[in-house]
Amino acid sequence: MSEQLNVGFIGNPNCGKTTLFNAYTGAKLKVANWPGVTVEKKEGAFKYHEHSFKLVDLPGIYSLTSYTMEEKLSRQYIMEGEVDVIVDIADASSLERNLYLTLQLIELGKPVILALNMMDIVEERGMEIDLHRLPEMLGIPVIPVSARRRTGLDILMHTVAHHKSKIQQCVLEHHHDKAEGVTKGMHQHQHHHEYVMVYDDVIEDKIDELIQIVRGNFEHVENPRWVALKLLEQDEEIIKKYPGNYNGIIDRSYENDIINQKYDFIEEVIEEVVVNKAKMQESTDRADKILTNRFLGVPVFLGIMAVVFFLTFTVGDFLKIGFEYGINAFSDNLLKLLVKLSASDLVISLVIDGVVAGVGGILTFLPNIFILFLALAILEDSGYMARVAYVMDGLMGKLGLSGRAFIPMLLGFGCTVPAIMASRALEDKKDRFRTILITPFMSCSARLPIYVLFSQLFFGKHAMLAAYSMYVLGLFVAIFVAMAMRLFTKKKEIHTLLIELPEYKTPNIRTIFIYVWDKVKDYLTKAGTTIFVASVVVWFIMNFNETGLTTNMGDSFGASIGKIMVPVLKPAGLGFWQVVLSLISGLAAKEVVVSSFSVLFHVSNINSRAGQDILVNALAVEGFSAINAYALMIFCLLYTPCVATLAAIKRELHSFKWSLFAVCFQLFVAWTVTTMFYQIAQIITKC
Amino acid sequence: MKLIEGKIGFCYKVEDMALEKLIERRLGALGLTKGTKLYLLNKKGGSLIFKVRGTRLAVGKKIAEAIFVEEAAS
Repeated sequence: MSEQLNVGFIGNPNCGKTTLFNAYTGAKLKVANWPGVTVEKKEGAFKYHEHSFKLVDLPGIYSLTSYTMEEKLSRQYIMEGEVDVIVDIADASSLERNLYLTLQLIELGKPVILALNMMDIVEERGMEIDLHRLPEMLGIPVIPVSARRRTGLDILMHTVAHHKSKIQQCVLEHHHDKAEGVTKGMHQHQHHHEYVMVYDDVIEDKIDELIQIVRGNFEHVENPRWVALKLLEQDEEIIKKYPGNYNGIIDRSYENDIINQKYDFIEEVIEEVVVNKAKMQESTDRADKILTNRFLGVPVFLGIMAVVFFLTFTVGDFLKIGFEYGINAFSDNLLKLLVKLSASDLVISLVIDGVVAGVGGILTFLPNIFILFLALAILEDSGYMARVAYVMDGLMGKLGLSGRAFIPMLLGFGCTVPAIMASRALEDKKDRFRTILITPFMSCSARLPIYVLFSQLFFGKHAMLAAYSMYVLGLFVAIFVAMAMRLFTKKKEIHTLLIELPEYKTPNIRTIFIYVWDKVKDYLTKAGTTIFVASVVVWFIMNFNETGLTTNMGDSFGASIGKIMVPVLKPAGLGFWQVVLSLISGLAAKEVVVSSFSVLFHVSNINSRAGQDILVNALAVEGFSAINAYALMIFCLLYTPCVATLAAIKRELHSFKWSLFAVCFQLFVAWTVTTMFYQIAQIITKC
Repeated sequence: MKLIEGKIGFCYKVEDMALEKLIERRLGALGLTKGTKLYLLNKKGGSLIFKVRGTRLAVGKKIAEAIFVEEAAS
């Protein structure tokens, strides 16, 4: 059999869906966006025995209504028949909430398989699930798996292959006697052998009547029961799609009743199949007593972040030594080779001063970035990130933002692009706009090379402090801007936190590895593409002018461009055409500021002792001191983010005007803060 | 009484909600509707954590003020 099976992976956020998805596809997956929206779409293909599968990772959602983009998307994707089999991944350790989505999926009428994930955690904590009774009650196959330990994976795919056409369900056995005060309708309903979820008689009566009308009005309705249910919930999309005269049947929204009855049924299921439920939540409760404590919560969080940055600098710097050695040796050997090949001076200059200096300079910072992303991945995978939102809610509330807005800001320390995308989790449009506007002030890892370089050059043993101060300053500017913006918005108290706190778990090495590898790969790709091109461009405009090749950089194109902007940046202490030029090139990617410096000052390895000495001397000649260096660091922290971030902002705001506003606003903030710093520093040093 | 006035370690039953439709629907999807029982775990400057339908939810002050509850036996 060679046909490909389309398998949709769906589940609640934090159910381990991504880990399971990765367990099948490894890091070989195609990441794209769903058409028209910025929700990430992940696809992976693999073979199991004679079957080939295409896995699609649907967004993590709690329900299949049509209130959020993610929900709409998943529902549409499944309804349009692009999925052959749905694999519903449920966190077995919090089955109650996870089964809600399962019931909705079953009602859609497509083949559904329930994958009970995290069975290892369930067992570890002494909880038991009756795997015989559960499928009996739900009428669908239930497969226990553990994505972390990679158990049950083959059985799950085996079930997928054999369940693909079975819409017909297994025997259903349940009583539905849990619901309180069941009202008797016109007639008794005997649906328990047909449907998993049977509602009270009032609703079942209405469903029957609606099915009649819908069937009469529309010839080809695949699943009239589902349509009837959605009509009762007054789902806007379905009302539009199946208009009709339902007066007298739908006198109000039955959404609340439908939700409650589903949960009542789930309670019945849980009571029958789960043993020792309370036991497993104890450890999370104990950890939360400290981590979300009203007094300890914030200090513990700040402590964790301090450790993260400490590791980023110390361990990162330690690993960097090896990298520097490698790049130095590479550069030297390449030079020898080029000379041996009697390459022209122009080519040697392009390769050594342009490409190796630019790209190589960036590569040496890879260890710092690796450690930073590693730490962020651990925080996210352990379940702590959601607690941060709660812990910071009080403080963020003072800024008029929800604690949830802190997650994009925290992710901003890694990379601004995913951080901007994470702001989507905020419901309020204004909250989202403000979060997007301040997130770039959180210093991303691409700016790290700039701090590391200049603080090492000018601040000696206080280098780490100087670099750390950038993060603090960024945070303060973000807070200040948020507060200022709050004064301009009339509506107060618009923030609302609403977030699920998952159980704590030991971070999974594989998930973390894939996450970090993804980021490292991005960084390397950027070094090979954007930074490569930017380095060559900078090299070109530095070595050419209208008459052709020039030996004096002061006459080059670059110098002319830089000199135009010098007066503007002079009050900020950045009135050097080389600096201006590297700042402009930094719009391609912030790391380019560093590589431009190496190209501009002919330093082949900017991270080595010798290279740095050359740079310091060259800068000293221009009159560039420690104060200027710090001003440069501040400006780099605050000014317009890289092109990739701008594109992300544009995508999220859906507005060119507001994106342009964001660009100008950040330039303005950067110039103002840097100028203030430089002028004050000048006055102090003169005294 | 409002949920925000609840005490840590006590069980409450939701009587009514005075929230925006969108937030109420999101709470509904998470299992919190009228008649649901919840158990208060943590409070901090207006935001609070409670257990409902087998999971923990953290909500901000605005939501905590708009959920009306009655003490219930656990």
